[in-house]
Amino acid sequence: MRKVNEMTDDELAQLHVFVHDARKPLNRISMQAELVKMALDGDVPADKALQALDKIITSAKDCSAKLTEMTAAMRQDTLASPHDK
Amino acid sequence: MLTILLVDDDTEFTDVACTIIEFLGHEVLTAATLEEARDWLTKETFDHVLLDFMLPDGSGAHLFNELDALPKQPRVTLITGHPSVKEVIKGLCGPNVDYLVKPIQREEIEAVLSKKKKPKTDEDKITKHFDLLIGESPAMKDLYKLISRVSKTSANVMLLGESGVGKEVVAAAIHRASESEGPYIATNCGAFSKELIGSELFGHEKGAFTGAVGKKEGVFEQAEGGTLFLDEITEMPIDMQPNLLRVLENKVVIRVGGTKTIPVNCRVVSATNRTMEEIAQSKVLREDIYFRLAVFPITIPPLRERKEDIPLLAKTFIEEFNKENGASFKWEETQLSTLQAYDWPGNVRELRHFVHRAAIMSDPNGAKLELPKTIESPFAQKQSTTPALQAGRTIEDVEKELIYATLEKVNGNKTMAADMLGISTKTLYNRLHAYGDLSKDD
Repeated sequence: MRKVNEMTDDELAQLHVFVHDARKPLNRISMQAELVKMALDGDVPADKALQALDKIITSAKDCSAKLTEMTAAMRQDTLASPHDK
Repeated sequence: MLTILLVDDDTEFTDVACTIIEFLGHEVLTAATLEEARDWLTKETFDHVLLDFMLPDGSGAHLFNELDALPKQPRVTLITGHPSVKEVIKGLCGPNVDYLVKPIQREEIEAVLSKKKKPKTDEDKITKHFDLLIGESPAMKDLYKLISRVSKTSANVMLLGESGVGKEVVAAAIHRASESEGPYIATNCGAFSKELIGSELFGHEKGAFTGAVGKKEGVFEQAEGGTLFLDEITEMPIDMQPNLLRVLENKVVIRVGGTKTIPVNCRVVSATNRTMEEIAQSKVLREDIYFRLAVFPITIPPLRERKEDIPLLAKTFIEEFNKENGASFKWEETQLSTLQAYDWPGNVRELRHFVHRAAIMSDPNGAKLELPKTIESPFAQKQSTTPALQAGRTIEDVEKELIYATLEKVNGNKTMAADMLGISTKTLYNRLHAYGDLSKDD
């Protein structure tokens, strides 16, 4: 795999988009976890915690999918790159 | 209660964020795009806007100008996905915009919302007397009175005070208050060798000595019509003092290597960190020079004698640091009390350095200042920055600290310490054994 400083501008932009997209489910996980904490403290109804935990699992899967997508895309780029030929 | 506009295109995030914000007691409206946000801004007035940096129809930063143009400007907190974006935007927008980096935690939301934007009240505003001096203590008010009085005359002033009290700042204040047309020139008499001080004070002619490739005006000439500040006057070599006396008496200088007399006209403000008694006893300053320079002596109080000014100074120093570094540090009341409890043997200079050091050591993205555990100075005993009595500490803990503090005070004399503590020597020994500080033989 090529280093970041060897990437073209387009490839770098694509990488940033991937990272941004992967961070989105992480942010959701963090926020839903805060909701679980509030539910445990009795600040919001307990059923909210259950919903939040389901959403955490979904977001974890989303994040994993994004990372897989990114790895696949980067592998393709690497194969297509004239530098490595 | 605040009215908040949350601009973010991730509805799952905004749903949870709204729950948290509402739980915190605020009212919140949401927008998923810049367009929706603009729409809300025309309909409602907001106290705070939480703004995502990357929105479907552009960057959140595009909203800044519109927010600035509003009659009631809300506080803005930019939500960014990447710490590097934060640094770039910080450079563009300055310290008035807060930042949240995803993933966000509830405490972070709470922290940005609790930072109220309040106009500076007179209470908050720190007055700089003569545009330079800070302090409202009786000692400083007396000093301001002296500065005002002497500035209206042309009398030479000698500033006495410990190292770090701000003698040079007082000298500059006298110059400013005098409204004289000439410049303010400062020089340090302790910084020059015996050979060079003549040239520094009186100037030299070309070829006067090896290396004198051109003629040079001395500080007396440079300060024409203004104020000459001679710092560390008592460090001036004694054999150079008759030359200074001649200038003070005759108001003319002769440059080193020259013959022509040049008239000079400036007020001389000199300074020393020695007391009048020391000056008299140690003979570092000729008596005739002393009376020429100290027509109007002013003693600047040490910081420990005006402790009520410490919070004002600490706030000013941190404001200066924030301005220079785009930071937003704020003092907590307990921290200011800790600073106030310390004696500051290095005076204002030590306080300023301490504040800057604390700011450098603190998280640059937060507002909380991290004070080191102890205030250490080679000129003073260590002092803990943890308040002595704080809720949550155990009685055993406080007792232990008191025992050690008492022992330190009496140089380890256990009989005296026990007496001061009101306990028997045996009890003191028992305690020290329990702390593991004494062997069984002691």
